[in-house]
Amino acid sequence: MFEFIKYSLQDYIRSQKYFAPISTYIIIIFVFYTYTPNPIIDSYAVTALILFVISAWLCVSFLSLDSTVQKQIIILRLKSNTRYFVGKLLSIWLVTVVLTVYAFLYPILFQMFREPVNFTLGFVAILNHMVLAILGISVASIFSREVIKSPISAYGGLALCLTISISALGIYDVLPSIFKNIVWIIPPAISTQSSLMEWSGTSITQLSIFSFVWIVIYSLLVLLLFLKLSRR
Amino acid sequence: MGDLLKRLVKLENIRKIYSKRVVLNNISLSVYKNQTIAILGGNGTGKSTLLRLIAGIERPNSGNIVYPTKSIQIGYVPERFPIMIRFTPSEYLYYIGRIGGVSKVILEKRIPYLLKRFQLKDNQRIQKLSKGNLQKVGIIQAILQTPDLLILDEPISGLDQHAQQELSIVLKELKEQGATILLTYHESNFFNDLVEETYYLEGGQLSTTIPTTEIEPMKLIIAKQLNQSAVKEWGEVIHAITEDNKLLLYVFEKNSDTVLSKILHLQGTIDSVLTVDTIKGKV
Repeated sequence: MFEFIKYSLQDYIRSQKYFAPISTYIIIIFVFYTYTPNPIIDSYAVTALILFVISAWLCVSFLSLDSTVQKQIIILRLKSNTRYFVGKLLSIWLVTVVLTVYAFLYPILFQMFREPVNFTLGFVAILNHMVLAILGISVASIFSREVIKSPISAYGGLALCLTISISALGIYDVLPSIFKNIVWIIPPAISTQSSLMEWSGTSITQLSIFSFVWIVIYSLLVLLLFLKLSRR
Repeated sequence: MGDLLKRLVKLENIRKIYSKRVVLNNISLSVYKNQTIAILGGNGTGKSTLLRLIAGIERPNSGNIVYPTKSIQIGYVPERFPIMIRFTPSEYLYYIGRIGGVSKVILEKRIPYLLKRFQLKDNQRIQKLSKGNLQKVGIIQAILQTPDLLILDEPISGLDQHAQQELSIVLKELKEQGATILLTYHESNFFNDLVEETYYLEGGQLSTTIPTTEIEPMKLIIAKQLNQSAVKEWGEVIHAITEDNKLLLYVFEKNSDTVLSKILHLQGTIDSVLTVDTIKGKV
């Protein structure tokens, strides 16, 4: 599996398909911190939400890298379809880890915040970026060509899904009360945002952990569904 | 029990449907250890699909594919090796080997050896290779690890003379080592001395008899007082052999009159003209 991840990452780098999503994220972070000083929690919450979208973009470009025959040859070597996709998803996640480190360190190194970032804040910021990246990857996997053959339906569906995810709070407000539970099926990209906005940033015990756990559970369920659908 | 031990793959009532079209219907086949099987048929008859199903990289819509031995090593040469590979042949083969669990030490010896054997240069990325060289990469990746079952989908398509000879030798070596070989081809009788059993695919069905659509009537003209070198340039002659001072000429039925008049023009004599049924593309 390690060799397959190495192969996938090297192939992705050589394909140069990383350039658009990664440079977009780098530029957005750069522009976002143009004015200083910035509030720590709010800033990290926004950069994590942007990473959610960028991760989805990375996932779509990563999963479209291998041709059908190339995929078949590797699956034969790995002796498992599931191992192939798990390896691919882990590779994408590693790319998002690098972006998380960038999003976390850039404002600290260039002193973009009002006050220093303590350990608790730093930990929560990294965690938020990581879980939203996993959510972005899982949502995009369902709209990859492995599941949806038509590129227009896949890209259109993913764009719609990401938009709905980000505007879930607004959707919740306008929905009649009997339909409000529908929001649970929407990818919970903004659930940690609400928790973070209400958090003082001093103690982790004051933070609602459920929203983070829910994102992880939601992502795992979607990834399991993807692995099942990709075996068809 | 002995039969079970020797069996490598068993297909039971396999059915495969693509876009509502039944490509394979009720296919049952047993492949035994050290066997060499050819699956022949026209374009679009499902040969490649059948090979992919046996390799385990596609699933049937119904039926079972059983591998009595759990961990068999399968090598697969696709009909068209993918172009968009951004590695040089040795980089790619190294990764493919490592992903398949081959040790670095073995790969460092085996890859240069196979590249040299197939005269494949390692100075550019696979995406820039010619069709024949792509095919060589496809073959080498399949035999990096000595396979228990080697599946080749039209392997000689695009290969140069040397690579064709080398492939033929490699297949014989693998067979001596106990490998089972399963292949499709339709452009020549290249594998005739290797293949032990031939199946024909037509209408989604597998049979051991040649389907009528695959039979091509030809004429076998037996001529005397004619040298084989004289007919060398005749485009109508598919195959020529000299036997007991007689020249045996295989020609398509529609060209037989032309060939007969050419023989007479060279003052050769016609011994006999026979009608022979041959499989398309083969003599």
